[in-house]
Amino acid sequence: MKALLICEYREGQLLESTYELLAFAGQLGADTAMVLVGDAANTPRYGGKVYLADAATYGEYNPAVHKGLVLAAVEKESPDYIIFQHSSYGWDLAPRVAAALKSAQVSEVIGIVDGGFETGACNGKMRRTVKPATARVVLTIQAGAFTFEGEPQGTPQVEKLDFEGPANVQFVGYEPAEAKEVDLTRAEVIVSAGRGIGKQDNVPVIAALAKAISGELGASRPVVDAGWVEHSRQVGITGQTVSPKLYIACGISGAIQHLAGMKKSDFIVAINKDKDAPIGETADVLVVADVMKFAPALTAKLQR
Amino acid sequence: MEVSREIYWNVGHVVVLPMYLFAFAAIAVFIWGFYRRTSTYRLGKSLNRFDHWPQRFWLVARNALVQLRVLKVLLPGSLHSLFFWGFGVLFIGTLLVMAQSDFFDLLFHIKFLQGGFYEFFSLALDLAGLVALLMLGGLLVRRFIVRPKGLETIRDDYLVHALLFAILLTGFVIEGVRMAVTEIGSNPDLARFSPVGYLFAEAFRGLSASQLESLHKVLWWVHFFLAVGFIAAIPFTKLRHIFTATANYFFSDLSPKGTLATIDLEDESAEQFGAATVSDLTWKDIFDADACTSCKRCQDRCPAWSTDKPLSPMKVVQQIGEVAFSAPEANLCETVTSDVLWSCTTCRACQEICPVSIEHVNKIIEMRRNLSLMEGAFAGDEVRTAINNFEVNGNPFGLAYASRGEWAEGLDVQLMEEGADVDILYFAGCYASFDQRNQVVARSFVKICNSAGVKVGILGKQEKCCGEPARKLGNEYLYQTMAQENIETIKGYGGRVRQIVTTCPHCYNTLARDYQDLGLTIPVEHSTTFIAGLLQEGRLTLTPEPFEFTYHDSCYLGRYMDIFDQPRAVLAAAGGRLSEMDKSGPESFCCGGGGGRILADETLGRRINEERVHMAEATSAPLLVSNCPFCLTMFEDGIKTAGCEERLRAGDLAEIVAARLATTSTEETGP
Amino acid sequence: MKILVCIKQVPDMESRFKPDGAGLWFSEQDLAFRVNEYDEYAVEEAVQLREQLGDAVDLTVLSIGPDRVVEALKKVLAMGCDRAVHVQDPQAALKDPWQIAAIIAAFARDKGFELIFTGMQSQDRGSAQVGVALAEQLGIPSVTTIVAFDYADGAVTVKRELEGGIKGVVKLSAPALLTCQSGLNVPRYPTLPNIMKAKRKELLTVPVAELLHEEALATTASFHPPAKKGGGIVLEGDVAEMADQLIAILKEKTTILR
Repeated sequence: MKALLICEYREGQLLESTYELLAFAGQLGADTAMVLVGDAANTPRYGGKVYLADAATYGEYNPAVHKGLVLAAVEKESPDYIIFQHSSYGWDLAPRVAAALKSAQVSEVIGIVDGGFETGACNGKMRRTVKPATARVVLTIQAGAFTFEGEPQGTPQVEKLDFEGPANVQFVGYEPAEAKEVDLTRAEVIVSAGRGIGKQDNVPVIAALAKAISGELGASRPVVDAGWVEHSRQVGITGQTVSPKLYIACGISGAIQHLAGMKKSDFIVAINKDKDAPIGETADVLVVADVMKFAPALTAKLQR
Repeated sequence: MEVSREIYWNVGHVVVLPMYLFAFAAIAVFIWGFYRRTSTYRLGKSLNRFDHWPQRFWLVARNALVQLRVLKVLLPGSLHSLFFWGFGVLFIGTLLVMAQSDFFDLLFHIKFLQGGFYEFFSLALDLAGLVALLMLGGLLVRRFIVRPKGLETIRDDYLVHALLFAILLTGFVIEGVRMAVTEIGSNPDLARFSPVGYLFAEAFRGLSASQLESLHKVLWWVHFFLAVGFIAAIPFTKLRHIFTATANYFFSDLSPKGTLATIDLEDESAEQFGAATVSDLTWKDIFDADACTSCKRCQDRCPAWSTDKPLSPMKVVQQIGEVAFSAPEANLCETVTSDVLWSCTTCRACQEICPVSIEHVNKIIEMRRNLSLMEGAFAGDEVRTAINNFEVNGNPFGLAYASRGEWAEGLDVQLMEEGADVDILYFAGCYASFDQRNQVVARSFVKICNSAGVKVGILGKQEKCCGEPARKLGNEYLYQTMAQENIETIKGYGGRVRQIVTTCPHCYNTLARDYQDLGLTIPVEHSTTFIAGLLQEGRLTLTPEPFEFTYHDSCYLGRYMDIFDQPRAVLAAAGGRLSEMDKSGPESFCCGGGGGRILADETLGRRINEERVHMAEATSAPLLVSNCPFCLTMFEDGIKTAGCEERLRAGDLAEIVAARLATTSTEETGP
Repeated sequence: MKILVCIKQVPDMESRFKPDGAGLWFSEQDLAFRVNEYDEYAVEEAVQLREQLGDAVDLTVLSIGPDRVVEALKKVLAMGCDRAVHVQDPQAALKDPWQIAAIIAAFARDKGFELIFTGMQSQDRGSAQVGVALAEQLGIPSVTTIVAFDYADGAVTVKRELEGGIKGVVKLSAPALLTCQSGLNVPRYPTLPNIMKAKRKELLTVPVAELLHEEALATTASFHPPAKKGGGIVLEGDVAEMADQLIAILKEKTTILR
């Protein structure tokens, strides 16, 4: 089996997601080759073949042209699978390649199972096994679902890749991210402070935990109402509705207005000294402890 | 000696003609002054407030004559009422004098102002005048020296005080001058019946009869012109309230409290929903501004105003009048502003206390209807989210509608769709169904019913929000959509639903009153009176366990439904010892959750719920009991944010009763 | 000028999902439905463009599905579209993205739409393919995940939302297709006059057989809940030990801490 992996390149850098593609191909048990629209100084640590197209010529975002480049590589490699990251680059480009080849596309794959590929459905609440009906299949894999074990190494065999064909869009450039006004809806990890932290002076302890776990500080409504945390960090029905990968609720009892705002989180940890706190029913892990004792301990261990 | 008085003494009958001419002129000005204003009232839509005359006249009698609403606030109220009655007696007295001299005596030679009756008449008028003068003095002291906070004094106030003082004083002076000539010396027995006049007469002892007569003639005309000036000034000044307030009692809203106009959504020709300009309100809404005397009783009791929000019910009412009279094309919502309009909790404290029966709340809701239905505006993004949640799942939390009945799992409760026979349909409402703290109340109520042998049915996932918060926020369309669905579901069970009981006063008001317009006629009761009934009938027995508490009369049970005593009786039967808050009963202070505001963030001013929690704290009772899911939620929040958790807990009547059932139950509930 | 916006009616994501009898998609019992959230941004942008350009614009909304999607179409009409097309298909859930794109392409091909707006993905299936596949089948340029849009005389300028909050600015010419991401706009709440007007707007019903001429390129083999997480874990005891335990759990069950 052969898999053609489509690398990502932005602002002059090869993105690390490349290695997730390798990990997935490994699970598939496929031989690999890569396509990269980038530059020769930034090739992946990989021992196989890399079809390299010059980003300076073809642009970092140029879907019709990138499609042409990928198809040119497909022509040469005849892969069974063409694999993209499910990212703003991947989900934009993959359907174009799939359409041109009239191949099945399975999006945001999270696993390989007997008979097909496993994807999420209904906001991650359910799973769907998709069975492609074409010999050649385009896949996009979920960010973070496949991790490369160990350190990637190797020097690729680079082959120049070209394509002649018109662009149908013009990429003007990048706009840097706006200065934060906190947007919790995009956070992957949120650590929220609830009334159980006791007093305003204790907020920094929770903020420290958030920082240690690379998360954003959130808060339940009573804490915001009391003026301990600014309103833009409020999670809940009258604050922001969030769906991070990890939500740590510190000293939050689980009133419905708060729960409704964070129930969609992938994994919920609640720290509460009350074993019967309502949030326990929603949490994946309930740590029965005094928040002000547990949070610093956890922070310390994370920092090591 | 003659026990009578010579009418037109000293001035002579020659004054009669000019007197009547000027009087008619003044009355003509009076009529014209009011007539002029009617064209502005008629800018508003039509409204029938001319039905049920006997009931309306009765309200006029109670309120204009007996001044009952004015007397609701006893101190300034009695100053006003006594003044009014005093002045009224003087007015009647003057009419009697005119009746005798220009009619009965003139045409039929009948004199009734003589003998014993005249003595009584004299005394009555003197005392009335004295009372009026003293009360006026008191009112003046209140307005200009005590200066109650928020009491605005305008040009009209100066004018009215001055005019009324002048009329009363000149009246007594004239009497004194007259008596100095006609009674002091020659008829001292009669003079006793005019004690105040007597005092004034003493002051003029030194003057000669001819001096007194000249003085009298001048003062007579001064007094006369002050009086006709008073009449002519009425429509152009605050004095118009004498008539507009009286009329307002007549035009009272006789429908059940909280009745809103149900918009006909089938009317394809309707282009405007809610009030954008004064023409979208009714004539009564504009007229209300003319009845207002800026007494500020509504403002004083408004929970929004009391917590530094920009809403003053008095100001809103007056703004409508100002706009109607000066710039009727203006956009009302922009004049009044969204912040003001969204701040209202529809607690009705303003309307309940208003001495002149102004209707504040519906004006605000009509303007909210314009904001919601015509502009798609919301009180905040969080409200928009809640409204979207209602549309998708029939509850504001955005929780799956299919889980609405899960609170009842394991309880002895029937799902209506499973067909069993039930005594009551328990309409749980959104909070009792989904909010953990309020689910305790729902379960408690079921336990109580079980104990009393009452079979309870619920709609479960078939139940949707009753629509009340949406309606109060102005979204009549969403309200009617959800209401129709609920009504269809309930009616679908036909005769199986004989009575509906709910633990939420908002659902209670909506199902019992609002839904009538949409075709639901099944009797609806709130759990507090239902429980009281069960106790009274002996179907429910409690084992009282003593507790100290204070009780919060929620707006939608208290002011809207006048239910004050039964919940207290129930709590007493449960063993409670009540320490009342200062503001209780009809003067209860809102928790802040009404008017749809339970869905909204409170961003302006201080927190209403904390304000109420502090009032509860002041009673030293450790438990604040309420009977509404919004109140319970607001108090739980308020206790936390105000930092009173060590001193105060919040509880609901149902959970207290459920913990004291005589029939044993091992399930833990409530405090 | 004609604009098309494609919407999908999806279940509310708060619902509890169960596989249907065939085990290939969710059972519709006890589900509340709504317009796919991403499609709402598409509708709002199209309506705003229509307001900007005036009556010269004719805005069509299209949806594929059983009769219940009419409710979603009515809501979108009330937001400001001129006409609706209901491609009637009780089995829409069994069509793959390629087929869905083909159905819409068959409808749109001869209509001369200047712009087509869709959501970037559906909340239930989430394959994020239909928009781009549709553009490819029609042979028009497309850009995905836009959070800003500007149109002037056939020239389109958009901003794509990239990872980390960076935006990419792209220019293209109409006819074109855009897929919309949250943050593009705030979808309006329909006013009552618009809700009432929507009742009288044209709703065209087309049986799916008239438009579908493609086979599926992939099928659903199974639709099922994820493997049980084994209920919530409760940690009690020594704080330091619990911290270690928690870190281990996070490493095992989440992608955080890797």
